[in-house]
Amino acid sequence: MNQEAIWEKLTETFREVFDEPDLVVRSETTAKDVLDWDSLTHIQLLVALEQTFEVRFNTGEVAGLADVGAMIELIASKVN
Amino acid sequence: MQQLKASIKAKDYVSAWSRLMALADTVSDYPSLTSLCRLRKKLGDVGQRPGSRRVVRIAVLGGASTELLEDPLRLLIESQGLDVVLQCSEYNTFVQEILDPTSETIAFKPDVALLMVTAANIPRWPKSGDDVNAVNHTVDEVADYWLNLCARLHKQTSCEIILDNFHAMPTRPMGNLAAKTPWESSQFLARVNLRLGEKSPAYVHINDVAQLANQYGVRNWFDPRYWFHAKQPVSFDCLIPYVRNLARMVGALFGCSAKCLVLDLDNTLWGGVVGDDGVEGIRIGEGDAVGEAFKAFQEYVLKLKQRGVMLAVCSKNEEANALAPFQELSDMVLKRDDFVAFVANWEPKPDNIAAIASQLNIGLSVMVFVDDNPAEREHVRQRWPEVRVVELSDDPADYPRILDDAGCFEVMSISAEDQARTQQYQQNAERSQLQESAGDYQDYLKSLDQRAVIRPFEKKHIERITQLINKSNQFNLTTLRLTRSQVEAIMNDDSYVTVYVRLADRFGDNGLISVLIGKHVDEVIEIELWLMSCRVLKRNVEMLLLNHVVDMARSRGAVSLQGMYLPTPKNGLVKNLYPTLGFQDAGDMHDGGKKFGLAIENYDPFSAPIAIVDDY
Repeated sequence: MNQEAIWEKLTETFREVFDEPDLVVRSETTAKDVLDWDSLTHIQLLVALEQTFEVRFNTGEVAGLADVGAMIELIASKVN
Repeated sequence: MQQLKASIKAKDYVSAWSRLMALADTVSDYPSLTSLCRLRKKLGDVGQRPGSRRVVRIAVLGGASTELLEDPLRLLIESQGLDVVLQCSEYNTFVQEILDPTSETIAFKPDVALLMVTAANIPRWPKSGDDVNAVNHTVDEVADYWLNLCARLHKQTSCEIILDNFHAMPTRPMGNLAAKTPWESSQFLARVNLRLGEKSPAYVHINDVAQLANQYGVRNWFDPRYWFHAKQPVSFDCLIPYVRNLARMVGALFGCSAKCLVLDLDNTLWGGVVGDDGVEGIRIGEGDAVGEAFKAFQEYVLKLKQRGVMLAVCSKNEEANALAPFQELSDMVLKRDDFVAFVANWEPKPDNIAAIASQLNIGLSVMVFVDDNPAEREHVRQRWPEVRVVELSDDPADYPRILDDAGCFEVMSISAEDQARTQQYQQNAERSQLQESAGDYQDYLKSLDQRAVIRPFEKKHIERITQLINKSNQFNLTTLRLTRSQVEAIMNDDSYVTVYVRLADRFGDNGLISVLIGKHVDEVIEIELWLMSCRVLKRNVEMLLLNHVVDMARSRGAVSLQGMYLPTPKNGLVKNLYPTLGFQDAGDMHDGGKKFGLAIENYDPFSAPIAIVDDY
């Protein structure tokens, strides 16, 4: 899966989880930048990403994904 | 989901609610569930929700993290037909919440408390090498720990309690030797579960997490990553079955469970089409894999009947063809006598289902329809959205599991009436035939040789009384629902007048069929609850009961009775009951209800062809 496709699916997942149809995320986006991104929605986001990309994050990764860039990188390493 | 969003956008809250509830009933993956929960929040408390709904106060007491369970719980309980007020205590504070009389949970006065706990909350474990007696001693201590907490909570709030039991561990450090080792963790937990089941009082209901986790696989049920990360007791893959199971138990406590299973015949109870293939050509029974699968489904259905579910047939067939397999094939597990209604004709199925409901005097919302034909399912679904239609697969080997998963028949107890129900309804059918042959209705009633036991509530009937209170919809003046504990409190309170009626006739015992609760305030008996099972409509039981209540009111020094009628979509039957019985109109109530009064000084007792007996 190329970067563009990953960005597209990831953005779609973010929009669904945070219920903001026009949400735009960038590599440097963190929880501070998105309304409602707290520890609970973080878990919901990860579960949704696991399902969308059919990947599994390990225990350290679950806790460590601070920004969107790290998520993209990790997902890319797992799907490719 | 798109239609739901469109309804919300268009502010069409009526269809938004019904779409949301339908989706909540079938949602099966966690991300979709969270989307539904978000839409539910958007809807807030606006708009008309389907049906008349009772508000249930629910306290969540978590030994693990429950924050992510709260919204799903609210939504799935709402999809049972109840409104919910939730009170959630902080992570792992359940002991303090229960023991501290000033806690938020106690102050909240819940109707139901959910004790959502895991093996991490087990207070003590056996020591390595303990023998079976020592292990059983620890089992008793642990079971008592939970049941004592439940007792404390119940004593302070009178709430019903749903207690999670404990699933096996996901790993086996002892390997196969665990099966022979009482002190091994999984074996110990299994013993605790058995003890909890044996020792739980009526107000404690066990959420059988152990069995659910078995069905889904303990390793799917429990995800260590999210346990370490956020103390999630259940994996996100299994969160829906866990919450839905709890929601069904809450629904069952408040009368939301179904009572009648309506079955198609061809390719539902047997393979093939009896009208085309002939009795010898259909597939049922041993010696043929497909026939065995249908037989296994019949065995499952028979188990439902044995625990009190009424069975009915609704088939497009010539009646003689439909009956033939029941009469001629020994491999048929189900017999004609197992069904309380048997409809085989060429009329549309929704019409036949309505006819069955009316014949049995039950509402459509307590009926479950099972048919292999998707077109018939859709027809019924469109015409009667309240009927629960089970989505079968194209493989009869799946049928038992699919009907099982639908979980329509959850109950909190089984009374003797439940087990005798099919027989009672069959006796009713015989009575109807007698009625047709009897010319004058009063003559018919006399010919029934009716005998009634009329008494104040008694402990031995509490279960059945509570059950009737929570599921009677039609002959029910106020549709007041009460938990077992509330009924018990009323029974022991001298300011209340309580009455139950049991009725027998020449065809058999109808069981406990009517309940009345009145509160004695000054010189008035205020009737807060009056209901009757529709099995015994038009038998003059209500007149007999009124005579009795007037007598009791007199002996207590009251001078009048006061009654009310609170309308619901289902109780139009008794709209005019009070005027018919001679009550005077005493004004309208703010929510469409009406009040009625009866001065008892000159009350002229009704003559009802029912003998009052001490017992029968």
